[in-house]
Amino acid sequence: MKKSFRQSMAWLHTWAGLLLGWLLVAIFITGTSAYFREEITLWMQPELHDSTLQPDTVDKALAALNAKAPDARSWDISLPGPRHTAAELRWQPAKQPENEGRRRGEQMLMDADSGEIVSPRATRGGNFLYRFHFELYGIDRLWARLLVCLATLFMLIAIISGVITHKKIFKDFFTFRPGKGQRSWLDAHNATAVLALPYHFMITYSGLLLFMTLIMPWGIDAAYQGDRRAFFSEVFSRGEDAARPGAPEAMVAIGPLIEQTETRFGKPVTRIQISNPNRDNAQITLRVNRDPAVTDRQRGGDPTQVFLGNTGELIDTHIPANDPVSPGWRIYNFFTSVHMARFADPLTRWLFFLFGVAGCAMTITGMLLWVSKRTQQLRRDQQPDRALKMVNGLNMASITGLMLAIAAYFLANRLLPVTLEARESREIQVFFLAWLVSLVHGLLRPHRQGWVEQVGAATVLWFAVPIINMLTTESHLFSALAWQHPAIASFDLVCLILAGLGGYTLWRLQRKPVPAKPRRARPPRAANTSTTGQTPAGETQ
Amino acid sequence: MTMALSLFLALALAYAGLTSLSLAMKRHHDQVMGRKLQPERVRYYRWPGWLLLGGSLLVTLTVWPLGLALFMAVGLVAVAGLPLVFLLPYRARLAGQLAVALPVLAVLCWSTVPLAVGGW
Repeated sequence: MKKSFRQSMAWLHTWAGLLLGWLLVAIFITGTSAYFREEITLWMQPELHDSTLQPDTVDKALAALNAKAPDARSWDISLPGPRHTAAELRWQPAKQPENEGRRRGEQMLMDADSGEIVSPRATRGGNFLYRFHFELYGIDRLWARLLVCLATLFMLIAIISGVITHKKIFKDFFTFRPGKGQRSWLDAHNATAVLALPYHFMITYSGLLLFMTLIMPWGIDAAYQGDRRAFFSEVFSRGEDAARPGAPEAMVAIGPLIEQTETRFGKPVTRIQISNPNRDNAQITLRVNRDPAVTDRQRGGDPTQVFLGNTGELIDTHIPANDPVSPGWRIYNFFTSVHMARFADPLTRWLFFLFGVAGCAMTITGMLLWVSKRTQQLRRDQQPDRALKMVNGLNMASITGLMLAIAAYFLANRLLPVTLEARESREIQVFFLAWLVSLVHGLLRPHRQGWVEQVGAATVLWFAVPIINMLTTESHLFSALAWQHPAIASFDLVCLILAGLGGYTLWRLQRKPVPAKPRRARPPRAANTSTTGQTPAGETQ
Repeated sequence: MTMALSLFLALALAYAGLTSLSLAMKRHHDQVMGRKLQPERVRYYRWPGWLLLGGSLLVTLTVWPLGLALFMAVGLVAVAGLPLVFLLPYRARLAGQLAVALPVLAVLCWSTVPLAVGGW
């Protein structure tokens, strides 16, 4: 028999959503955390917390490099910014190992206050979660990306088919009817989906655009044509300098040069590069951060001034030019830079985080709705079959399981010994172990009580993160140190908020042991098997 | 600081606009106002609703470049709309009161800024 278009779309939405839904939940949750991946990394390296940019940080950094590598071919100092507290010092050693084709610089981190070299605990930090959201972990990178790409494609299909399926999209725009089981999940799914629809579409579509270049190398070639040229010229000139090491000569004081550049661009200098330091052909390059460009592609990187090292004479001022870009590239640039929130200041970043949370809520409510609907269709004496139980268990693992695994990852960061061998892998092992435990638990106890246990565990773990942090570090919520860098305090606060949400969910789960069981007779059962389109209006599942 | 205030204003306007639009609908008008919506009064809620949303967009345009501003404006609608959706069944009156209080508060905050910062 022929089904209506809307019904086919509902079928597509239901099954496309279910098949890759678990993966999508994980992608959304880890992807949302990725907006703050540098902040997460910062939190996970408490050794760097007691470090703030000081007027003499640059001098101390130069002193440190002078002590460590006075005859290096180049120095490179990245000063602390709002997202990282330590100064990063890199240098190209004078003598390179001959056999290695690729020249690798050396690197160390310096406390910006004391000028001491610090070595933080080994951790993958927020980058682990960030990487997980587009290439998972432990599988071949290309296959993982293809899988995530497939999930993204399904997501796009689910968005489009969902809109078509949703009959009363405008009439139900603000509708949420609590305490009605399936109906409530449907309303919640609709609200989070429809209200944030432009965001969902943007993040999905731009995700696909990003994959376009990640998977197909010719895409990269086209996108980075300008940058690649810049890259080559930089490499080339570095080689030229190396061939001509100048005679030893002292460099001028850097303070006035920095002042000059900051006056010129009206922004603080964030990066200092010195080629042939302590030689008569030394060149000092001072950079400030570029302006955010959402649609244009800027050529040549950051606004820069170049000085001669021995005299302090200004020899070049470089202002990046906005390349005129075609509408196609403009759209591509817009989508990709919005996806990664490349330009964002803290406030905008928080907004993106909130949008991401709405995305998580949308995928999560969709998964719960799937189970809720089928549970409600059971007759009173009927037990859920094995498939339904399995879906329920997998839902648990993908939602509460992932949440508690992330909390466990953060706890492991604080509790594992700092000197442990292969420490960063151990943290990740804890993450997957916690996730695996929740999966097994979910499959063994795929019912309400199972949910209560998992939500409870997640709540305890998230609450434990700031507590353990307080016991193991100096930068906790009750310290001035954490508030010096708002990112650190915010991390603990977000943990508490998540624990609070978990506690609230737990309370709701306890309060109403059996929701929506006392309902009227079930007309949907008949509608489900017939093809007359009698399903309750507005159903998206 | 001015950016935070602009964002607050944009959010408040978006929230008020959405609430106004919801008041143009029977079900939510009942919830919030506790009385039936007269069909001829629909436009008293619908037009101001769109105008307020337009105002929210205007504010985002002062903060971000065009493309991003458009995107952020629809994002703010989502961020403002979700609390509204979940307030309506539980605290409908509060949802209505917030729609008045938030924009007033935002404008009041703005009015203190010229003294502190010296204008936009």
